[in-house]
Amino acid sequence: MHWLRGLRHQETTLTRLISVAALTALALAVTFILPPVANSQLAGGAAITIVILGLSWLIGWSGQISLGNSGFMAVGAYAAGIWAHHHDTTPLIFTFALATVIGGLSGLVVAIPSTRLRGPYLAGMTLAFSAAVTPLAQNFSSVTGGEGGIFFNTLTTPAWFQHFFSGADATINANAQWTADLAVVTAGLMFFIMANLFHSRTGRAMRLVRDNDVAAELMGVHLSRTRTIAFVIAASFAGLGGALYSLINATVRPETFPLTLSITLLTLMVLGGIGTLSGAVLGGIVYSFSSNLVSHINSLTGVNPASNLGANMQGIIFGVLLILTMLFAPRGIAGLGIKLVKLRNSRAVLASDENVN
Amino acid sequence: MSSFLTSSFMSNIFGGLAQGVIYSLVALSLVIIWQSTHVLNFAQGAMAMFATYVGMTQIDRGLNYWWCVIISVLVGMAFGGITERVLIRPLYGKPEINPIVVMVGFLGVIEAATTAIWTSTSRNIAAPFSQIYFKADGKLVLLSPFIIFQIILAVVIMMLVAALFRFTRLGLQLRASALAPEVARLLGVRVSRMLTIGWMLSAGVGSIAAVILASGSFGLFPTNMDGVFVAGFIAAAVGGLDSPVGAIAGGLIIGLTEQFVLAYWSPSVAPLGGMIVLVAVLMVRPHGLFTRSVSRRV
Repeated sequence: MHWLRGLRHQETTLTRLISVAALTALALAVTFILPPVANSQLAGGAAITIVILGLSWLIGWSGQISLGNSGFMAVGAYAAGIWAHHHDTTPLIFTFALATVIGGLSGLVVAIPSTRLRGPYLAGMTLAFSAAVTPLAQNFSSVTGGEGGIFFNTLTTPAWFQHFFSGADATINANAQWTADLAVVTAGLMFFIMANLFHSRTGRAMRLVRDNDVAAELMGVHLSRTRTIAFVIAASFAGLGGALYSLINATVRPETFPLTLSITLLTLMVLGGIGTLSGAVLGGIVYSFSSNLVSHINSLTGVNPASNLGANMQGIIFGVLLILTMLFAPRGIAGLGIKLVKLRNSRAVLASDENVN
Repeated sequence: MSSFLTSSFMSNIFGGLAQGVIYSLVALSLVIIWQSTHVLNFAQGAMAMFATYVGMTQIDRGLNYWWCVIISVLVGMAFGGITERVLIRPLYGKPEINPIVVMVGFLGVIEAATTAIWTSTSRNIAAPFSQIYFKADGKLVLLSPFIIFQIILAVVIMMLVAALFRFTRLGLQLRASALAPEVARLLGVRVSRMLTIGWMLSAGVGSIAAVILASGSFGLFPTNMDGVFVAGFIAAAVGGLDSPVGAIAGGLIIGLTEQFVLAYWSPSVAPLGGMIVLVAVLMVRPHGLFTRSVSRRV
């Protein structure tokens, strides 16, 4: 195993590419085993992973607290939805690129006044943004479809993929898995981009701005530009994630992006681990299977899922998890993992010291 | 004169003020907490909503309206004190994101739990004042006995809070612990108790805002304070999070702005009006209108 640890220490773009490709391939293999329902859930989780990657970058690495990423998601989703509704022959990659760019632009609009603000001011400002986006979408109902939203269907499964499936529900199964595979590959690609961003010049500058902005400025880092870049990148990730999420559901509606979505995103990010790449993936996995988890808890505690309490169990559990994580394990699951690895390594060092003696 | 009172301009002023005093109360409650503990309480609206549910549903048991109001405020204050002791106390001295995340989580828990207990159906709380608008020369003036009650109650609460801070021993201790906790502790002020009292006071003021909102045409439902909280935060930020006077002025500014946007453009974009005011103010004065300019310590 020693050569593996050595590989980790000199992490380069190539080693990152190999590990991300391996992880993506593993996830793709899993989609062949999972039932269609689980595949649809996995697709949603992959879209949310992309959003959390951006959020983790913004909050964890640049130190700017945003509650507006559900708003950026809505912007990206509407951009993709409106385009796909009118031009349903456009290649999917173009629709995604459009959502990413428009999402990033909305980030720029919010960042220009917001990067002058600190901490709670910024959090409240971005919260106000995400609260204003959906009413605005409802207001221009001739374009956005108002309350009912827009329906579109662009995720068509190619014929060669259909050949893997047979039986009565072949088309449905093929569609579910194709959607999941597409989402997983997109998430893998965005994970790779973010992994490189974390270790890029901008990423390092970002961390310095977070930890000591005076030192950063002395070293020639342009503060407000760096903070704006952080926002634009996070917003474009959220825009893409939101577009993917809506394309999976084949509809964009205001009620998909309530204020509580920002809370859900924050919970998943904190639960996975603020400012870590693996934390974003863990958050996405938790999101995928949260409904299974909640129904399991409901059956364990004997709560009727159709009752009032059962219907609100998810909100209660997510909120309690967020509070408990922040109070007792503020670095999340990934943080606990890192702690365990460090503990083991220090034990190993101690043991080897004893051997020398 | 009466044609002036019934003009659309004046009716917007009345509507804006009525909404504005609610925002002012929420902003004031946020400022009280911010001054004492430097936490922006994202669950402020939800906590007040929960207290209102506990108090005002006692009407169903035949209790008098005013007793229900008092119960709501007392429940709100107790809730605020417990929240500070249990959730916020372990977080003093931690990075500023920690209390924000905890209170956002608390917001989620309270709203989900309230929906679980009382369902999401909106309720009407019958206040002992008519909601029917006055008339002058056969035309409507957009003022009702309830709106006048709402404005007077809010102003009385604001004056009580101001008097408490300005003229009482407790107010002096509260201000001392906020301004210089170390010195206050040396002089015998029990600072940690003051922080709890600050939270109780703030939650009480917030509960009044929620009670007024629920008694009006808006009704009581689990998310009814969400928009009001956002507007109240904007108001507090416009006025400056350190300034109670700024909070009240900010609330009125935001209330009037939203009312005019609503009247001359569209109801659904009203929240946007407040945001534009906030952006404009923060571009010029990043710490709000009513704070003395502070240089950030390096």
